[in-house]
Amino acid sequence: MDYQFPEQLYPSFYNCGPPDLVLKHCAGNWGCYDGVRPQGGSGPLSSWTFTSRHQVRGETWRHTEPAPVPLLPPKNSVLWPSTPPDPQDFPEHMQNFFMDHCQDAFGSMSEILNEDLIFKQGTKKMSRIDSVYMRKMESLIKKGKLKKRPLSFPSKVLNAYGSMLSDVLPAVPPALLGSLLAAATLRAAASSTPGNQGLDCLNFQRVELQQHGGTPPCLNTISSDLSSFQLKAPVRQISTVSLINNCCVAVRSDHLCGVWRFSEGDKPQLMEVVNTQEVATCISVSPHVLGEVLVASESGAVDLWTVGRGMQRVREEGENLYFNAKSSWRWCEFSAHPRVMVYADRTGVELTDIRVSPVSNHTLFRISNTAECRSGERLILSRYLADIHPFHHLITTQHSAYIMDERFPCVHMLKWDHMMQSPPMFCHAFPGSASSRTAKVLLGSHRSQEITLLQYSGGKAEACSSRGPPQALLRPRDSLRHLPVQLPHRLELATSRLSSPAAGLTCIQKRGGGEAAGEECICVLQLTEAGDIFYQILEPEQSHTPPPALENNTISEINPAQQPPPSLRRISEASSDEDIIGPTQTQSFVAETQEEERPELDTYASSNESWSPRKSRRMKNLQLQVIVNDYDNDETVSGLDTGLNEESAREEKADIPEEPSRVEETTSGSRKLSDGVLVTWKQWLQKLMQKSHKNKPRPQRRQPFKITTKELIDLSSDDEARGEDSAEKERVENVRRDLRACMANRSLLVHSAVSASLGAQEVVEVPDAVKTDRWGDPTSERFTISWQGEGAWQAWWAENLGLNREKKVEALRRKRRREKEVRRASSQRSVLSSSFCSSLSYQSDLSDFSDLSGWSSSASLGAWSDSGGGLSQAEGSVGRGIPRAATPSSSQTDPTPQPGNQTLASQPGNQTLASQPGNQTLTSQPGNQTPRAKPQEDYLSALFAPQDDASQHGGYFLEEESPVLHAPPPVASCSSQSASLRSVRTGFSQSLTPSQSSQGRPGLSQAPLAKKKKPRMGF
Amino acid sequence: MDELDRELLAVKDLEDDNDSFDDNSSKASTKSKLPLVNLDMHAEPPRETGFHRSTRVCLEHIRDALLHHRWQEAAEYMACYPQMLEDTTNGPSQSCKELTWRISTEILHHHPKSTLEDYNNIYERMKHSGVRHYLMICLEHSFHLLLHGHIEEAKRQLSVSESWRHGKESAAQFQRTKLIQAYRSLLDYIIWCDKKCTHSSTENSDSAENQDIRNYFRTASVNLKDILKNPGVWDPFILCYVEMLEFYEDHEEALKVLNDYAYDNSFPPNPNAHVYLYQYLKRCDTAEKKLMKVLKVLHVLVPSHELMLEYSSSLLQSEKSGDLQKALGVVLEMLDFACWRGNLVVWKRLEAIIQKLQLEKDWKDVVFTKMADRQGWWPALHFTNFHASKDSEENPELMQVKAPLTKTLCPSLTLKYTDWQAINGK
Repeated sequence: MDYQFPEQLYPSFYNCGPPDLVLKHCAGNWGCYDGVRPQGGSGPLSSWTFTSRHQVRGETWRHTEPAPVPLLPPKNSVLWPSTPPDPQDFPEHMQNFFMDHCQDAFGSMSEILNEDLIFKQGTKKMSRIDSVYMRKMESLIKKGKLKKRPLSFPSKVLNAYGSMLSDVLPAVPPALLGSLLAAATLRAAASSTPGNQGLDCLNFQRVELQQHGGTPPCLNTISSDLSSFQLKAPVRQISTVSLINNCCVAVRSDHLCGVWRFSEGDKPQLMEVVNTQEVATCISVSPHVLGEVLVASESGAVDLWTVGRGMQRVREEGENLYFNAKSSWRWCEFSAHPRVMVYADRTGVELTDIRVSPVSNHTLFRISNTAECRSGERLILSRYLADIHPFHHLITTQHSAYIMDERFPCVHMLKWDHMMQSPPMFCHAFPGSASSRTAKVLLGSHRSQEITLLQYSGGKAEACSSRGPPQALLRPRDSLRHLPVQLPHRLELATSRLSSPAAGLTCIQKRGGGEAAGEECICVLQLTEAGDIFYQILEPEQSHTPPPALENNTISEINPAQQPPPSLRRISEASSDEDIIGPTQTQSFVAETQEEERPELDTYASSNESWSPRKSRRMKNLQLQVIVNDYDNDETVSGLDTGLNEESAREEKADIPEEPSRVEETTSGSRKLSDGVLVTWKQWLQKLMQKSHKNKPRPQRRQPFKITTKELIDLSSDDEARGEDSAEKERVENVRRDLRACMANRSLLVHSAVSASLGAQEVVEVPDAVKTDRWGDPTSERFTISWQGEGAWQAWWAENLGLNREKKVEALRRKRRREKEVRRASSQRSVLSSSFCSSLSYQSDLSDFSDLSGWSSSASLGAWSDSGGGLSQAEGSVGRGIPRAATPSSSQTDPTPQPGNQTLASQPGNQTLASQPGNQTLTSQPGNQTPRAKPQEDYLSALFAPQDDASQHGGYFLEEESPVLHAPPPVASCSSQSASLRSVRTGFSQSLTPSQSSQGRPGLSQAPLAKKKKPRMGF
Repeated sequence: MDELDRELLAVKDLEDDNDSFDDNSSKASTKSKLPLVNLDMHAEPPRETGFHRSTRVCLEHIRDALLHHRWQEAAEYMACYPQMLEDTTNGPSQSCKELTWRISTEILHHHPKSTLEDYNNIYERMKHSGVRHYLMICLEHSFHLLLHGHIEEAKRQLSVSESWRHGKESAAQFQRTKLIQAYRSLLDYIIWCDKKCTHSSTENSDSAENQDIRNYFRTASVNLKDILKNPGVWDPFILCYVEMLEFYEDHEEALKVLNDYAYDNSFPPNPNAHVYLYQYLKRCDTAEKKLMKVLKVLHVLVPSHELMLEYSSSLLQSEKSGDLQKALGVVLEMLDFACWRGNLVVWKRLEAIIQKLQLEKDWKDVVFTKMADRQGWWPALHFTNFHASKDSEENPELMQVKAPLTKTLCPSLTLKYTDWQAINGK
């Protein structure tokens, strides 16, 4: 009963006045019931129930795919760069100017110079001396660091132009001309189905929603059924109404408005085009009378345009309705009465009765406190929801969406906080299919591509109530993360393409057909400014096993046609088997694609040879799958029978184990794209790449600017070196070979791998460390001190000159006094302080190793003893590992003795861990080191050996850093060695080099060795 | 789109230097006048501590999860967010508390195992975390209890919050207090109904119990009367107030309340106000003339209202000369609306009116004047080929009524509707 008005509305205050709310938080209306009203008769307490204005639960709709799917292959499109050019970049702007307006920039000059420019080579009939050879010019440009035009032009063509247009030098290079033309045609060609806004080609494309047992529904275009209209100006808005069995489409561009009409059988037909005086801001087709259109213009005038009978001015408003918003945006819609229209601007909405003159107006909505608007809120969109309820209007602002009932103006029936980041510009509303179902409103924003789904019910006998919180739908720009990884430059291109602003939104609702209740679904289509259409399909949550019934159904506002199912046969064949294989197929396919997508996609990749047979086999598998799926796609469109391919696909899939993937499918929360969608995406991306390579109107990135340096560089030295060339070549070959080997093993190419092929490197000697204690004379001492800073230097002078003697004596006395006091105060404290002193002395007496080395060695010995029985085995491995570790590759000239544990045990006094700070990196020349450092180095090498050994098995990369990172760990960390550290390290090394265990070396033996490595792990 | 961008920028630009419109808006909001929704959330404050940064990011994740209806994920993040309430640098802000409350309630709404206890927990805790949102949360808490059938508990909650006072009241707080009182009175009324019901069933007229019931009426009526003085939509409140007044036969007060509700200009034009008045008057057997007056006002307000059927029938039966023309106007206007276009009752009413009108001499002129501005679009609205086929399929009786009327209403036009019928009839 559409004419009913709710018997009871939810209680609310009616506040007049300007809006005063201020935005405070971003949680919108979450968690709010927003008022309740009683239901039930005046009976006992238990008979009363309540309903809330905001009901907690709405219908749950789930995406069938985690990403939207492109409907059409990508079209050529001029994509504006996502980031505007830097305004400071003057050369860039000049370059643009020279290129875009070269006629203006160079035209006259070229005219003057025309005679003096000679393009042809070898024309020696020089008329004048000061003529310029273009070839010379070009070579000049080439040689110099001059910025060359990105669009180079062969002189031949230019010459041809020159002869053709004898009086002017063509300042527009042909390539540029071509690109301009291309840009123009691109603009024209970029097109889409109705809903296309911003471009000047209107295409009508019949689409078909297909659903068959087991597989998620998908949308197909009927490729044969495409009508295209070339318009003179970019489309700004499209308004469609499906009335009776006709569909009326009104299209607005800035000064032209046109109306098309089509029906199920007929192709779209242009009815009439009118030229508006002012810029039109809105067009709206009547849902009541076929051929009536409202056109609003910037001047505030609204015309009722009856197609074939001209325009009739119905309202004119010079200013904004309720306050001066300084906006010329006007909007108009029809309402429940065919002669009452809705007139809106940024400040509010009025209902205008155009039967009487002057027209009578009354407020439907205004930005005010009544609507609980926030300050600064403006009206963005008004839409008559004829399909849902004959009296309902949807009004959106930046923050909220309102449902207004025109029978009760001023007070909103419902208010949502839609929580979109950018204001909703597009909307599509459709009723619930059955009486219990909720009406749904889709809001779409422009720049951020958001789509939000709102649900509400009521409005007839019951008051309106919103159902569930707003639900954000998928955005095309988010879909890349669900797709296989792309190469960076492709990723960039795809990202910029996918994040182009939305230009339209529509929805196909498929009502559950009779007995098949679970068949219902919503298909949301979104158009971007690049001309791409993405669709996502939502299904209600409680989807039981779909019945085998096949349903090919198209219910569309765009296209209300019922398509005969073109591929019935194919579906019936495939449905049963695909049901079972489905999930596995998805899983395996996705997994492989993620790995192998790149080589497959990348046509530049020349490293085919490095593929292992295993990979190429899988590759083959993958490709085969792709082919099969290609057929799948074609099939749904053309209805071809490809049973054979189905067979082969099944065979291919048979060897993939089903069980694990099934489990994964059910357990994993994040869903993955299905096979078909993945293929669609892949093809789409591929085509996008091709398109972008083919026609770039003006390449964003310049061709690498090459300068031939042959003439510039004296080649004589090269000739001399030619003798070495073969050796050099060989070396390069070797390096290449190594590189390839590394790539095959998936390891890094490090120095040691190359060093062999490169031969011995010249070794740079590190100068000796200066032993300051050998230079005892005052001057040297002073120099030494001066390195420690000015303070120390001054102190030295004071000391030397005896300036501070009194102070020192005083300090000493004070100290002694304090010590005495302290000692008197408590014996415990004295112990503490003395220990403090001793630690101080330890710091100052670094050169005296007597107790320190003993301590550290005891610690290390203790660590050694941890390993227990593993010691002897470790010894062996240590002996083996040393040369690699301490003297990597190039430093093998001076092989150190291999002391092993004996050395450690017998020379505890020589442990000079602390005295060898990081400057002794033990790099290349152990021979140059002081004798004292040697045992220490040995000790270290013994320590590090096993790890390097491990790295030997694990790959190349650990070895790389060995020269640098040999700095001994600080003593303090030595003391705090613990089993936990060790366990961490062993865990790490084992995970790093799984081959270790296969060496037959017990993990225990490594354990003590491991603990010293801790600092190294942090690289 | 471009227009909007331009527009919004313009709005921003203009409002930056010109506050002509919202002078009373706080100065704080003038800094960014392109009020996009989450501007404050996404904007990174120039200096923020790691803690604030992590909570902000956390909030973004929660929001994202909630918007995509990933409740579990939101709940997991939400476990971390409340530490924001323990922010020591400048104390948790008001918005942060409200945020916590809203998000956690929303998550509880969608949690499969949420219990009333959980709800009570969150409501009670957040209620006492700040003064400014105390009343709002109290109200929401009682709503929650009401929706789950705990009427007495809800009444207790409302009574507690009713007596809550804190300093100077803002306008919003004042309204919330009023709402709380009104809802409490509504619950009083429900208990009144309950008592009345049990009382009447026991049939023993105990004066003490009567007094008890009357007390409920009294406590309820004070607040209900009070809230009805404020402009607003008070459908549930006025209904129960009038019912109680009727029960105690205070007709004068009831009529006054209903009249005020319908005709006070400070109130929004609520069609229900007129409907309630009409229904009340009808219950009291008021004279037809008064009823017609109410319906006349309603006709101006909502010409498509279903009571217009009654209005037209009263007009049809009326003896006054002009009423028949009025009836014709009312019915024709009803038929303008999409929701009545296929309604057999209305078409039959039109038929009856025309038949009665045809008894008069100048009936053609009357019809012509009424149809004058409809000539252009009524045929397309009612009498196309398509309508003919549709009506003959779905509602042949309607067709029978409509077809003869076409000639009467649009005598100058040849319509396909009748043609189609003629073809089909043969």
